[in-house]
Amino acid sequence: MNTARLLFIFSLFFQSTVATAADMPTYKLLMKDGRIHPETLEVPAMTRFRLEVKNEGPGAAEFESLELKKELVLAPGVTRNLVFFPMKPGTYKFFDDFHPETGQGKIVAK
Amino acid sequence: MGNAFFVVWRESLEAFLIAGILYAWLQANDATGKGKRALFIGLGAGVGLALLLGWALLTVQDELTGEALETFQTATLFIAAGLITQMVLWMRKHGRQMKARLHADLAAARERSGYFGVAVVAALAVAREGAETVIFLYGMAQEGDLSALLLGSLAGFAGAGATAWLAAKSLARLNIALLLRLSSILLLILASALLIAAIDRLIGAGTLPPLLDPVWDTSMLIDDTTKAGKLLADFSGYRARPALSSLLVWAAYWGVVLFAWRRTGRG
Repeated sequence: MNTARLLFIFSLFFQSTVATAADMPTYKLLMKDGRIHPETLEVPAMTRFRLEVKNEGPGAAEFESLELKKELVLAPGVTRNLVFFPMKPGTYKFFDDFHPETGQGKIVAK
Repeated sequence: MGNAFFVVWRESLEAFLIAGILYAWLQANDATGKGKRALFIGLGAGVGLALLLGWALLTVQDELTGEALETFQTATLFIAAGLITQMVLWMRKHGRQMKARLHADLAAARERSGYFGVAVVAALAVAREGAETVIFLYGMAQEGDLSALLLGSLAGFAGAGATAWLAAKSLARLNIALLLRLSSILLLILASALLIAAIDRLIGAGTLPPLLDPVWDTSMLIDDTTKAGKLLADFSGYRARPALSSLLVWAAYWGVVLFAWRRTGRG
């Protein structure tokens, strides 16, 4: 009973959003061979922006950041967009969850 | 090889743990074997689902299908969290009924829905993380080093299986009351972690406002970006920099669970 109620409450929160990406600055990130290029990405603080993540392979990659609350699995050769909401100035870490040894990067919001 | 081992171990551990805990519990509480059959059917279905979802995620190239799949993944997180919670409460009730020796027909009807729940929970547990494992292994195969891949992933599966077996074995050695209590708590913590992951996805997608982000920063104590910290985050819902809405949901979840826990205890 309680679970059903719980699920219902969460279903209220739950709507799919399609990001409209035409009107915001776009940055590019390349994931290749377990590495991230560039490893430090500078973006303006308090501004919505789009990050175009491309995985050139050869393996799969997973862009992940607990701080930024993003998780995106990319098969080799796939390009996907992530929309970031205005961030406070600071440094935010992200990593390639499939290559945690080599794939570390950070976004610096200024 | 080392990387394949770690990723496969981590991705499959959750499914193995859920299966192991359920198995230990059914072993102690269900003499008919129906529950265990439901568990294995669920695990099998989960493998099929994982392959399907992995294939879908691999072939996605366009943004719109990607969004749809992401929505689907977030939904499975919510469903898994809800079902595990419901199942734990069912297990608690069920355990009490067995002790009280209620009428067999009533027990049978409740049993059937409970076993269905067991199967669905097992299937979802395997499908969720399994899909990512499928993509990871596919990617490794593209990288070309097949023998290292095979060795690493087999070792990873075996490692996760052994970890879960160890957990189930040590649970089974406890007396039934303690087994029920401990496995319930483990499953509820896991469910709350899934819920927090789902909330994070909603915040990340802009669907849910974070309200205040972060509320505090404990990354000096336990950093969730390290390997071990990430494991803790995945299995307990720990966040070094939690958003206020995550905290609220987390508190609401445990509030509802504790309330229901007391009520099933009384009933």
